[in-house]
Amino acid sequence: MSEVLRIENLKAYYIQILAGKKIYVKAVDNVNLTVRSNEIVGIIGESGCGKSTLARAILADFSPPLQYISGSVILRAKNGKELELHKLSRDMLRRYVWGVEMALVPQFAMNALTPTLRIRRIIMDIMKSHFENVEEEKVVERASKIFQSIGLPGDVVDRYPFELSGGMRQRVVLGLVAMLGPSIMIADEPTSALDVSTQKIVLKTILDLKKQGYVGSIIFITHEIGAARQIATRFNVMYAGKIVEEAPTEEFIEKPYHPYSSLLIRSIPDVAEVLYYGGSRMKKEFTSVAGAPPNLAEPPTGCRFHPRCPYAMNVCRREEPPMIHIESNRFVACWLYVKK
Amino acid sequence: MGDVLLEVKNLTKVYETGLIRKMHTVAVNNVSFDIMKKEILALVGESGSGKSTIAKIILRLIPPTSGTIKFGGKDIWRDIRNSKELIEYWRNVQPVFQDPYSTFNPSYKVDRILYQALKLIGVDPNDAHGRRMVVESLRHVGLNPEEILGKYPHQLSGGQRQRILIARCFIIKPRLVVADEPVSMIDASLRGDIMKLFYNLRETYNTSVLFITHDMNLAYAISDRILVMYKGEIVDGGSPEEVVRNPKHKYTKMLIDSIPSIYRKWSDIE
Amino acid sequence: MKYMMSMTIKKVKIPESLQLLLRAPRFLIGFVIILAIALFGLIGPIFYPKDPLSTAGRPLMPPSSEYPLGTDALGRDVLAALMIGTRTSLYVGFLTAAIATLIGVIAAALSVAFGGIVDDIITAIISFLLSVPSTLLALIIAFYAPVKSYEVIALVLGGTGWAGFARGLRARLLSLREEDFINMSRVAGYSTIRIVLEDMLPAVAAYIVIFFAGHIDNGMVGEATLSLLGLQPSKGYSLGIMFSQSNTYGGIRRGAWWWFVPPGLIIMLVAISMLLISTAIDEIFNPRLRKA
Repeated sequence: MSEVLRIENLKAYYIQILAGKKIYVKAVDNVNLTVRSNEIVGIIGESGCGKSTLARAILADFSPPLQYISGSVILRAKNGKELELHKLSRDMLRRYVWGVEMALVPQFAMNALTPTLRIRRIIMDIMKSHFENVEEEKVVERASKIFQSIGLPGDVVDRYPFELSGGMRQRVVLGLVAMLGPSIMIADEPTSALDVSTQKIVLKTILDLKKQGYVGSIIFITHEIGAARQIATRFNVMYAGKIVEEAPTEEFIEKPYHPYSSLLIRSIPDVAEVLYYGGSRMKKEFTSVAGAPPNLAEPPTGCRFHPRCPYAMNVCRREEPPMIHIESNRFVACWLYVKK
Repeated sequence: MGDVLLEVKNLTKVYETGLIRKMHTVAVNNVSFDIMKKEILALVGESGSGKSTIAKIILRLIPPTSGTIKFGGKDIWRDIRNSKELIEYWRNVQPVFQDPYSTFNPSYKVDRILYQALKLIGVDPNDAHGRRMVVESLRHVGLNPEEILGKYPHQLSGGQRQRILIARCFIIKPRLVVADEPVSMIDASLRGDIMKLFYNLRETYNTSVLFITHDMNLAYAISDRILVMYKGEIVDGGSPEEVVRNPKHKYTKMLIDSIPSIYRKWSDIE
Repeated sequence: MKYMMSMTIKKVKIPESLQLLLRAPRFLIGFVIILAIALFGLIGPIFYPKDPLSTAGRPLMPPSSEYPLGTDALGRDVLAALMIGTRTSLYVGFLTAAIATLIGVIAAALSVAFGGIVDDIITAIISFLLSVPSTLLALIIAFYAPVKSYEVIALVLGGTGWAGFARGLRARLLSLREEDFINMSRVAGYSTIRIVLEDMLPAVAAYIVIFFAGHIDNGMVGEATLSLLGLQPSKGYSLGIMFSQSNTYGGIRRGAWWWFVPPGLIIMLVAISMLLISTAIDEIFNPRLRKA
């Protein structure tokens, strides 16, 4: 498997001016991430961790107040060339990258379908904005085929968005992405506003897009670990603008290393755990992570999690832990695992 | 009937829209159930199941189309004739709503919601007793009064606001709390402490809780009994163990199978 | 346990926002302008005690040291006339705005509080008023009014100009009604009226004030329009009458700008000052325009 995307030491801050002073909101602070071809990478984080900003940063969508500070975003294009996205102009990004090599499905995308246009019109608008010489008949036919292959009824192209349920609209959005055929699809909270039964269908559709070759790799950003683990092969846990742990899905669930990861998993009640594992891991007791997520404009010194960490040591308060390699393919940024 | 707190019988709610061609939506269809004293009863359903409508009817916010709800032997819609009796009902039944952003009027400080609670039970917010109750209720829910009082809603986090709503219940000490998705807009890592507060209310004041949610995991973890709703009807029910291990209705089965579990991958996902 | 407890339920965010407002440059400039105009009309004559009705001067004289704004076609002192006219027009403007605001608030509140048939009737009235040009309507009613006085004019103008405001207010109140905090007040035992006054009003207060401020000018222009078309009251003197007479007596034809330009200037300045005040209020009270 080869690398399609490599993000190194990426820093992107929001710049705000409050009462005459410049404030930096460190939403993406020294993030390293790699995505290989045909991989589904999960990025897990809760509110205020910077994950939606990370989605934009991956696309190199830096516009005020979000500013690129340092680091690199390197994409291997479909033609094999390596593109340094952080160096490209917005115009170049629009023409050669966005919607072509990488596509973003933002949170609540299903609500962004213009309600007064039929689906076929929306398809045409999107295709025309990315390609030249677009023939309606061919495009709509191809769209119909794709929609059907992901389980939507054949006449969906002639419907209006308001006639479709939330789950169907989300799948239409995924179908549109499929038509663009990007090598990387970024899905930001694709299932969070949906009923549990619809969630399953949408997750299957996302997996389908990859299986049928419409998209190459997928970056799945969410706060719902249960949803992500169904299709992601690797997990990255994001906290306060940083990636604090990276591991393959099964190993991560079996044994999360970072205190935040393990506390997070422990605080989520899970019925399946009771049904299939006898409830050994889940007592009928509620646990939380103490405190609240930090203000990204004034993050804590040292390890950003230390104010809430039950294992915090002196070094945690002073110095930021490095990201270290544990076992063959796991990484964690925590002083507990740094050998003296 | 010594142990029944609230009795819902044949409750139906039909919405009519349109001026000339009327469309009928049946939100709640002939629903009957009891809430026992000191019980945490979970009402599980997805969107459109009618669970929030039932909550609002029990809270006396929207009227039913037919059916009865009895509290303390009285039909809450037919036997309550004046505002005094209505206020008496609300002293016994209070809500915790889902959205910590819209439950507070942004024009006022958050203190107001606590003062409303005091006045409901006939305590003057300005005297020492009232002030002490406010402080104690905030401490009870794990909040520091100095960080909360005097602040506007936008200055506090969602979790803090949700706890204030529960602090309200510690002031009023109702016999029944109707909690409609009380933690669904709170991060998972912060929910545990808030969920424990419902146990707290039950143990300290014998309060029953009608816990309404779409999340079967939460319902399983907190409730004594679960009722499953689908399209306005109750389709399944029983103890959490029964409902989860031996679902009787196929909707319940589908619901449980569709839960994305952390510990287990769906067998039919690949 | 030493800490500050807030007061009773009724304390609203107003004091702090008011302080911010009073310091905003736009508000101050606008306020100064309208204050100056009001003072000009109210106590101006004390400093310039010429009789506006005396026809002692020579007709249509341009501004001079004796007559700073010249004379009109009847030989009257224009500056003195302008002061009286300003006072009357401001009065009509405020009265119109007050009447329109009052009717609009009551209509919207009743619509939202009662719903059903009441709402249907009020919405129908609003739609009707909005589909008919209000000036035309005012004209027709003023024409047939048995009594012609400035109060009647204000009533007519106010009574026809509230519809758009009421519709906007109704929409805002309706969306407020769906908010959970309304339900929270209900289960605390609040009556419907109390909810409208305590929960909904603060959220729309700025909208109401802005409408009122903007409508003052509508009242003044409306009065000017009616006067220009000959529907002025039999007694009294206003900026509108100055326009009307400068038209009838050939002042415009003969280019006596000192007669008809100043009244227009006054009306325009009132409009500008209200605009400045409105935008200042909007910025302070509209949470979206403010930083949290």
